[in-house]
Amino acid sequence: MPNPYIPMLTKVKNIVSENKVNDIKTIELEFKNQEDYKAFNYIPGQFAEISLIGKGECPIGIASSPTEEGSIKFTIKKMGTVTSEFHNCEVGDTVGVRGPCGNGWPMEDLKGKNLVVIGGGFAFSTLRSLVLYVLDEKYRKDFGDITVIYGNRDSGEVLYGDVLEEWEKRDDINVVLTIDREEEDWTREVGFVAAIVKKVAPSPDNAVAVVCGPPIMIRTAVAELEQLGWKDYQILNSLEMRMKCGIGKCGRCNIGNKYVCVDGPVFSLEELKKLPNEY
Amino acid sequence: MDQKILMKNEIGKLYIELAEEYNFYAPVKEKGNIVFKKILNPDDIVLEYFNSKVPPKEVLFPEMEVLFEYSLDGKDVEIQDRQDLDEKNVIFGIRPCDAHGFALMATFFTAHGDCEDEIFMKKRANTILMGIGCNEPKSTCFCTSLGGHPFQKDDLDVMLTDLGEKYLVETISEKGKTFIQKLKWLADAKKKDVQQAQELSKKSEESFVTKLDLTDIDKILDPNFEHPIWKEISDICISCGTCSYLCPTCTCFDVIDETDEYNNRGRRIRIWDTCQSCLYTLHTSGHNPRNSCIERCRNRIMHKFSYYPKNYDQIGCVGCGRCVQLCPVNNDIRAILTKIKNIEKEEEISA
Repeated sequence: MPNPYIPMLTKVKNIVSENKVNDIKTIELEFKNQEDYKAFNYIPGQFAEISLIGKGECPIGIASSPTEEGSIKFTIKKMGTVTSEFHNCEVGDTVGVRGPCGNGWPMEDLKGKNLVVIGGGFAFSTLRSLVLYVLDEKYRKDFGDITVIYGNRDSGEVLYGDVLEEWEKRDDINVVLTIDREEEDWTREVGFVAAIVKKVAPSPDNAVAVVCGPPIMIRTAVAELEQLGWKDYQILNSLEMRMKCGIGKCGRCNIGNKYVCVDGPVFSLEELKKLPNEY
Repeated sequence: MDQKILMKNEIGKLYIELAEEYNFYAPVKEKGNIVFKKILNPDDIVLEYFNSKVPPKEVLFPEMEVLFEYSLDGKDVEIQDRQDLDEKNVIFGIRPCDAHGFALMATFFTAHGDCEDEIFMKKRANTILMGIGCNEPKSTCFCTSLGGHPFQKDDLDVMLTDLGEKYLVETISEKGKTFIQKLKWLADAKKKDVQQAQELSKKSEESFVTKLDLTDIDKILDPNFEHPIWKEISDICISCGTCSYLCPTCTCFDVIDETDEYNNRGRRIRIWDTCQSCLYTLHTSGHNPRNSCIERCRNRIMHKFSYYPKNYDQIGCVGCGRCVQLCPVNNDIRAILTKIKNIEKEEEISA
């Protein structure tokens, strides 16, 4: 086995600023070695350890879908040392990638189900991957109705404007966008995600809900789903945790006897309720 | 089982014969403490010692270790993998508890995810453990409470017993057998040497003052995760992390890039970390899943006595007693475990 701490090398192909305050960017990476790209076999919901060599490494969810061939994308909010360095990087820079890491969304189990995707804020990246995947012409027939509820503080924070526009045009997906407070020119919903979940009232019949966002949004949205008759095993979350290695060695991302990096980051609410409340 | 005799005055000879092929690690005295060091002069080897302050885990999992090196050239990066992992090592004088620590580390480093910790596992495979049984365990020792023994052989390649002027040498693993066969000058052991070793082993076992019953400790821990006892246990803890840095089974690490900006090169390293530090789990957002000392103390105990049994069917403590000896506030893990064992008894009484 090779040294698992050595990253594959990629080059920054493109950088997109995703929001008005310019603290969220999507970085598109192209593998330097095509063999590495072939080996990077991922599903939506997985993450990778990405690094600017010499500056540091951090775990980031994969925002691209495996159906978008040729490159991979990461959406990075400027938060700490490494993410700030990523905000300074330029097209052509070398980025190290280790992965894919983690379990990802259970794509096989989702087949034949209606999907309700609920996201808040910039935690939408692996949901972008998931929705692009299920909407792909190769896979769309494998899934039932698809509903996306995506909330943000204000219109300037809405990520992925280009793909959202595409989705809104389609008739095989119900896209509900919301912002916290009214704004001029905003024609979609207004209100917190939980309130919109209540309004849309997705049916739990043969369905799975995928919920990602800040803790308060998850709690309130899940409470609404429970009101609507959803069961814990039907609700999936993706957790964030401080990590260093991403491969189950450095120790810190444990919740009880589970490691978020390898046993997660995706857990059903049913699984989470069996774990200690340390996340 | 082959049984040989190694005279104590032949240690220099042993070293000279092995040092060409192996990095020879043995206990030496440094700043008043016993340390396992790569030997350059066999006169430095200390044969009268209890155990090292820092466990010999640092031989295969050093406090700071290079994961890989890199050179930077404009936008390009070149990575150099480690070249030294095939070197052979002997750890002479390791105690049975610390050898068991290596076995637990190997279990942890291979159990989770799709890949092993190649760096540790390669080094472990290239290392011969030549251990010495403990004739005189200290009052802080409690390996026998954890299924261990001062003369436990299972995790060693070669077992030595200190018979005064000489060592009884027993080969344990196949690796140890091949290793000892090369040392043709070792004399055969006599029946009375073997007998003496058995007596020493028995005497040592009987001298243990601590004997805890840790059967099903995980079954007591799990339902008592929120028990007020954790506050009591953590009240005196100062989160210094000594217990985990000096633990032969603790493996947590941080990863950092160190760059020499003038020469455009650097290395990604790992350094020991501890779950007792509040920074260990701190998210960039400011959220911290184990924000207080209560949660951090609990995690250390839960990891070794509940998560280990759950994940690998064995306890993650070897009973070496270092955390007992060196805790600056004397937060004795044996007392902690006894308190936990007594939770149910006390509840029965109060009910």
